[in-house]
Amino acid sequence: MLLFIPTLLGLTVIVFVLIHIGGTNKLLAMYLSPRLTGAARQQIIAELDQKFHFNDPIYIQYFYWLAQIFQGNWGITNTPIFSGPVTQAIELFFPNTLMLTIFAAILIWLISIPLGVHTAVNRDKPSDNVIRVGSLTFYAMPWYLIGIILIIIFAVWLKILPINGTVNPSLVADLSWYHNGISYPTHILLIDALIHGNLVVAGNAFLHLIMPSVTLALGVMAALVRLMRGTMLETLDQDFVNFARAKGVPEKVVINLHAKNNALLPVITNFGYLVAGLLGGVVVIEDVFSYPGIGMWLTDAMINNDMGGIMGGTLLFGIILVVTSLALDLIYAKIDPRIRY
Amino acid sequence: MESDQLKSNLAPIVKVENFHLHYYTRRGVYKALNGVNLEIRKGEVLGIAGESGCGKSTLGRAIMGLIPRNAAVVDGRILINGRDYLKPLKDYYKNTKKFKPSKNADVLKKVNNEMSKIRGQEISMVFQEPMTTLNPLLQVGYQIAEVLLYHSPGLLASRRLSRSRAKKEDTKALVKILNENGPNEKFREYLKEKNIMGLEDQILAIWRRKDLHDLKKEQMIEKLCCEPINSFAKNYLETIEKENKLPNFSKIPIFGRIVKRELIKEGYKKASEFLGLLGIPNSDKMVYMYPHELSGGQRQRIVIATAMINSPQLVILDEPTSALDVTIQAQILELIKELKESINSSYMFISHDLSVLAEVSDRIAIMYAGQVVEVGNKDAIFDQPKHPYTQMLMEAIPTIEAHELKGIKGEVPDMRNPPKGCMFRDRCPYAMPICAEKRPDLIKVGEDHYVSCFLYEGGKS
Repeated sequence: MLLFIPTLLGLTVIVFVLIHIGGTNKLLAMYLSPRLTGAARQQIIAELDQKFHFNDPIYIQYFYWLAQIFQGNWGITNTPIFSGPVTQAIELFFPNTLMLTIFAAILIWLISIPLGVHTAVNRDKPSDNVIRVGSLTFYAMPWYLIGIILIIIFAVWLKILPINGTVNPSLVADLSWYHNGISYPTHILLIDALIHGNLVVAGNAFLHLIMPSVTLALGVMAALVRLMRGTMLETLDQDFVNFARAKGVPEKVVINLHAKNNALLPVITNFGYLVAGLLGGVVVIEDVFSYPGIGMWLTDAMINNDMGGIMGGTLLFGIILVVTSLALDLIYAKIDPRIRY
Repeated sequence: MESDQLKSNLAPIVKVENFHLHYYTRRGVYKALNGVNLEIRKGEVLGIAGESGCGKSTLGRAIMGLIPRNAAVVDGRILINGRDYLKPLKDYYKNTKKFKPSKNADVLKKVNNEMSKIRGQEISMVFQEPMTTLNPLLQVGYQIAEVLLYHSPGLLASRRLSRSRAKKEDTKALVKILNENGPNEKFREYLKEKNIMGLEDQILAIWRRKDLHDLKKEQMIEKLCCEPINSFAKNYLETIEKENKLPNFSKIPIFGRIVKRELIKEGYKKASEFLGLLGIPNSDKMVYMYPHELSGGQRQRIVIATAMINSPQLVILDEPTSALDVTIQAQILELIKELKESINSSYMFISHDLSVLAEVSDRIAIMYAGQVVEVGNKDAIFDQPKHPYTQMLMEAIPTIEAHELKGIKGEVPDMRNPPKGCMFRDRCPYAMPICAEKRPDLIKVGEDHYVSCFLYEGGKS
C-alpha cells in the first residue's frame, strides 16, 4: 500500500523530464509571465535562478524543483480565462469538475450495477439484449455526440433542462458570495448555495449538473454493465452460490448478498480507474456544455501553449490516479476479508 | 430378517422414478440421466457409486432441484415426501416444440422458489469441494445462522426471549433438576410451565459438553437468564416466535436489517453450540472467522454443520471426502457416522470410492451411464455382485496385498448418442444379441437386491 509514495515520486520525475526536454526555457515559461520585459524580467530570472539553481547538474535541479512543487509553487498560467498561479487556477476550477465527476460516478454506479445484475439474472431474455445493445451503442458514440443529442432533445425540443453553464446568470446577479462566475467558499455552486441556504440557486445549479453528468455516465456505463454481467454470471455458477440455494435461502438473497457482493470485487477496481479516467474525460464534456471546470481551463492552456497549465494538469491528473488506486486498496481491504495490509 | 423386512417397509423419503434429464449444449443434447429408479428410506445411508460422468452428482443435484438452466427434465419424477417438485420443468419440456434454456430458466425460478422452503429444512446437501462451498466474504457463523434465519426464526426468537424471561431462580432450579435425574420429562415440564422452552437446547448443549468441569457447566447454565431486552425488540421477537416466520416488514431494506440482526446474533450462538456438539474445539471463536482462515477439513465440517443444523430428513453428500487427504477423510467419515447416530436423518452418500462406501453405507446403488444398474444391501453388493459392471468394479479396487488390477476395457458410450440397447453392452464380456435391442429393467435377484441385466431375466418368473 505504501507503494503510492514511490509512484508519486516517479510521476514527478516524468513531469520534470518532460519539462526539461525543451530546455530551461520551458521551465522559465512556467514561472515567468511573457508580458514582463526588460529589467523586471531579468530580475525575476535571477530570483528563479536562486530557487531552481539552473547552473547545477540536472539531477540536482530536480530536487530544487521538487522542493518548489511541495511548497505549492506550481508555476503560473496565462490563458484568456484565467491568469495567475497554477495552484490558484486548480483551486478555482477543479472543485466544479470534481462535483461533476462525483455526480456522474454516483449515477454510473446506481445505474450500471443493478443493470448488470439484472442482465446476468435474466440472461438471453429480451431485456438483457436491449440493455446490452443500448449501453454498447452509447459506448461506441463519442462523448460530444451524446452531449449534443441530449442538448437537442432536452434543451431544444423539450426545453426542460438548461443548455450550458452552471447556473442561470440572472439568479446570481447580486449575490454577495458570487463574483465573476466563481462562488465562495467552496467554489462549487451547488454546495455553496446550500451553505448559504439559497435553495432556488441550488435547484438551478442541480439542473445544470444533470445533462453533463448523464452524458458522462451514458458514455462509460456499458463498460461497467458488461463487466458486472460477466462477473455475475461467473459467480452465479460458483459452488457457494449453489450451496446458499441448497440451504434454502430465498433466491433474492442469494443474488443480492451471496452472488452480487462477490461479483462486485473486480468491478470496484475497474470503477475506481473509470472515475479517475472520467476526470480527464470531462475536458470534452465541459467544452460541449461550457461548464467552467478544469477541462475548460486546460483546453485553453493547450491551445495557447501555456506550459504552466499543461504541466500543472499533468501533475494533478497523475496525483488523482495514484490517490484513487490508494483509495481502492483501502476499500478492497474493507470489503474482502482475505486482503490484509 | 424381520428387522430387514421392517426397514424395507418404511416409507421412502425420496423416490426417483424413471427419471430422465438431458443437458442441451452447443454440441448436442447430452443425455445425463436415462431412467433412474431409486428410493431413499428413512434412517438409512444409501451409497451411490459409479465412474466419473455416470450421473451420480447430477442425480444428487436434481433431487435438490439445483440443476442448471440448460437441463431439461425429459421424463419421470422425483418424489420428496410424496411431492414432485420438478413437475413444472417436465411439463415445460413436454409442451414445448423447441427447448430454450432462457424459458426453462423461468420455470426453474418458480421451482427454486417452491423448493427453497424445503431445502435446508427437509433436504440439504454437502458439496465436494470445501474450498469453494463457503462464501469467502461472510463469516462462517453467519453462513450457518442463515439456515436458521430462513427456516426456524421462531426458534431463534424463542431462545433470545427465553433468556430474558428466565429468572435466576429458574436456571438454578433447572440445574438442580438436571443434577438429580438428567434431561427428563420433569425438566421439559418446568421449561413449559415458565414459558422458557427456548432454553432447552441451550442448556443441553452446555450440559452435553465433555470438555468442561461440571461446576463450570452449572455456572454457565445459571448465567442463561435475566438478559435485558428492549421493548421494541421484544415486540417483534414475540411475533416471530408465535408465527415462526420472518414478518413482512423484515423485507424493508434498512429496518429489516435491524430485525434480522438480533436473530442472526442468536444464530451465531446456536451455530457455535452446534459446532461444539460436533466436537470442534474453540467453536465460539470459529464462528467469527472467515472461510480462508480455516483448513479444508475444518471447512468441510462447517459445511456439514450447515447442512445438518436443522436436522433435515435427507442429507445428500456429494463426494464430501474426495477433496481431502486421507487422515482428514477418516475424521469426516467418523463425524458423519456419529451424526447418523445422533440425528435421525437419511443420507445419500455419493462417491466413486467403493472402500469409503463400504465404510458408511447400508445400501449401495451402482450407476452406469445415467442409470442405476444394481442396487442392494451393502453386503449383497460386495459379496455377490450380479451385474457384470459391478463385478468388474469390485475387481478394480486396489488392495494392500498385491493382486493384478483389472481395469474395465473400453469407454463409457458417448452420451450424446447413447446406444439403443444396454449401455454396458460394448464393454460387457457376456453381451448377448438381446442386449443390442432393448434396455433391461431392474429385476429382483435377491432380498432387496435388484439388477438390470438380461443375464438374470430368466430368474424373474
